[in-house]
Amino acid sequence: MTGVNGVIVSADRITRIFPMPAGPVVAVRDVTLQVAPGEHIAIRGPSGCGKSTLLHMLGCVDAPSSGSLVFEGRDIAALDDRARSLLRLRHIGFVFQRFFLLPMLTAAENVELPQAEAGVPARERRRRSLELLEYVGLGARADHRPSQLSGGEMQRVAIARALANRPRLLLADEPTGELDQATGEQVAALLDRVNADGTALVIVTHDPALAGRAGRVLTMRDGRIEGEVRQ
Amino acid sequence: MSAPLAFAWRSLVRQPPRSTLGVLGVAAVGALLLDMLLLSEGLILSMRELLDRLGYDVRVTASDALPGMGAAIEGAPDAVAAIAALPAVRAVTPIRSEDAELAHRDRQVTSVLLGVGGTAPVWTILRGRDPENRRDLVINRYAAETLGVEPGATVTLRASCSHGPTAPPPVEFRVSGVAELPFDTPETASAAARLVDLEDACGAPGAGVADFLAVTSAGDAAAAAVAIGAARPDLRAFTNDQLIGRVQQTGFTYFRQISTVLATITMAFALLLITVLLTVSVNQRLGEVAALRALGFSQRRVVLDVLCESALIVGTGGVLSVPLGIALARWLDTILKRMPGIPEQMHFFVFEPQALLFHAGLLAATALLAAAYPMRIVARLPIAATLRNEVIS
Repeated sequence: MTGVNGVIVSADRITRIFPMPAGPVVAVRDVTLQVAPGEHIAIRGPSGCGKSTLLHMLGCVDAPSSGSLVFEGRDIAALDDRARSLLRLRHIGFVFQRFFLLPMLTAAENVELPQAEAGVPARERRRRSLELLEYVGLGARADHRPSQLSGGEMQRVAIARALANRPRLLLADEPTGELDQATGEQVAALLDRVNADGTALVIVTHDPALAGRAGRVLTMRDGRIEGEVRQ
Repeated sequence: MSAPLAFAWRSLVRQPPRSTLGVLGVAAVGALLLDMLLLSEGLILSMRELLDRLGYDVRVTASDALPGMGAAIEGAPDAVAAIAALPAVRAVTPIRSEDAELAHRDRQVTSVLLGVGGTAPVWTILRGRDPENRRDLVINRYAAETLGVEPGATVTLRASCSHGPTAPPPVEFRVSGVAELPFDTPETASAAARLVDLEDACGAPGAGVADFLAVTSAGDAAAAAVAIGAARPDLRAFTNDQLIGRVQQTGFTYFRQISTVLATITMAFALLLITVLLTVSVNQRLGEVAALRALGFSQRRVVLDVLCESALIVGTGGVLSVPLGIALARWLDTILKRMPGIPEQMHFFVFEPQALLFHAGLLAATALLAAAYPMRIVARLPIAATLRNEVIS
């Protein structure tokens, strides 16, 4: 299902305010943004400018304090926690800077996790996991634990895990932040391929090279989108 | 439920030392808990078993005191005849106990001497036979060993009686058997003879006194007790159930109170142990939990994972606690039975299936309560803030 005008997620003047003991902090201010199917967007900006907060709101793990957020035609504010979880499970993939693979599970089992939660039968999810690990170039490492993988390999497993339930939107928060340049380049190429295969991609990054691969580059400052470049 | 259980198992084996410590802690605490449950009812169950084994289901006394502890029944033969005539009663045995000195050659021992009327013995013969003839006597193993006698030997008995002359002359008795007497205590001598021979030894033949009457009902003990009360309102009749009830109200309440207090402390300790283990474990994995939530895991699912971890720790520890608890109970029983005055056939810890069920129920409640706080942590985990904090840290 796609929202109005073929948009996956649409943010209309969303603001996120964090109440703090010293006074409220406005992390995201009046941001309006639409992500279309197959788009590749990079969000750049200095630390603390609200990039990750915006990404979390687009991914429905955080709710705006004001403004409207619509995901594939559904108003996020009207959904309860269970419905949001289900939406994330089936339609959104997340890639984190620190991978967050479960160390007691093998690479294949990590990729199977979201599928198991979605109720995919065991045989089908095993097949899909191996297929995804082949896709990210780790078919031979399916039975390895995260501790037996390099940083780049762990991030590729994390990408495979994020793709497990065939999401239409993949969100990545500093996906190359913990990787050296060469490894980061491999991960960036993989993300390009994921996008080329039809998954919309929103990446938060400090890395100009990674941002340079995106079709749209948004620059944020003090919670606002200060500039947008289409490439 | 199988997916969270499998996931919880993987989470536990991820930290073998911590999980092992948790399981061992629960096993130790569970063993103590089981022992407290066995102790709370042990003496009562043991007493009940002992009373039932003697074959009498009603005891008749002259007062409200427990049998053997209050006034004696005067005119016991009349009471025996009146009670034996009741349709609800099958047999009546008058029983009287006195102190006596038993001597054989240069050895002597102070003993309890039971005088038993009727034909149904209240002891178990180990060697020899029942006292069937005049001035026959059975003695317990301790008396036999102390005096160095076996069935067929003659002993001199000097009774010290509550009824009759203050210093009756010594009387010769023939040891007809060595027996295990009810309520025998280790390192205490006891002997039993026919009631008529005890009266002879007390220097008051035909005194017609009994401490209590042991009655075998025709099948319904409660009906027999009521019938006896109606026939002889001057006497008190107690069924075994009533007797146990009175004992529970008086002598054995201390054990129940002590075991209740210790069981509560033990459970509180288990609760704290598991709560601390799970809370530490969950706090170390907040980033992973937040990531799983971001990937679409429901709140219910991550809460269930924590509950399953608790259930696995407590369940595994609980299973181990049963053999450990039984072994510990046997050891403690041996120690406690060394206290003076404890009958050999009485036990402080008696195993019963109901205690095991209660034990399982208490451990299940512990698992649930112990998981409450860590479950609350993961249930209320702010996903975005946790992911942000993990990156900053």
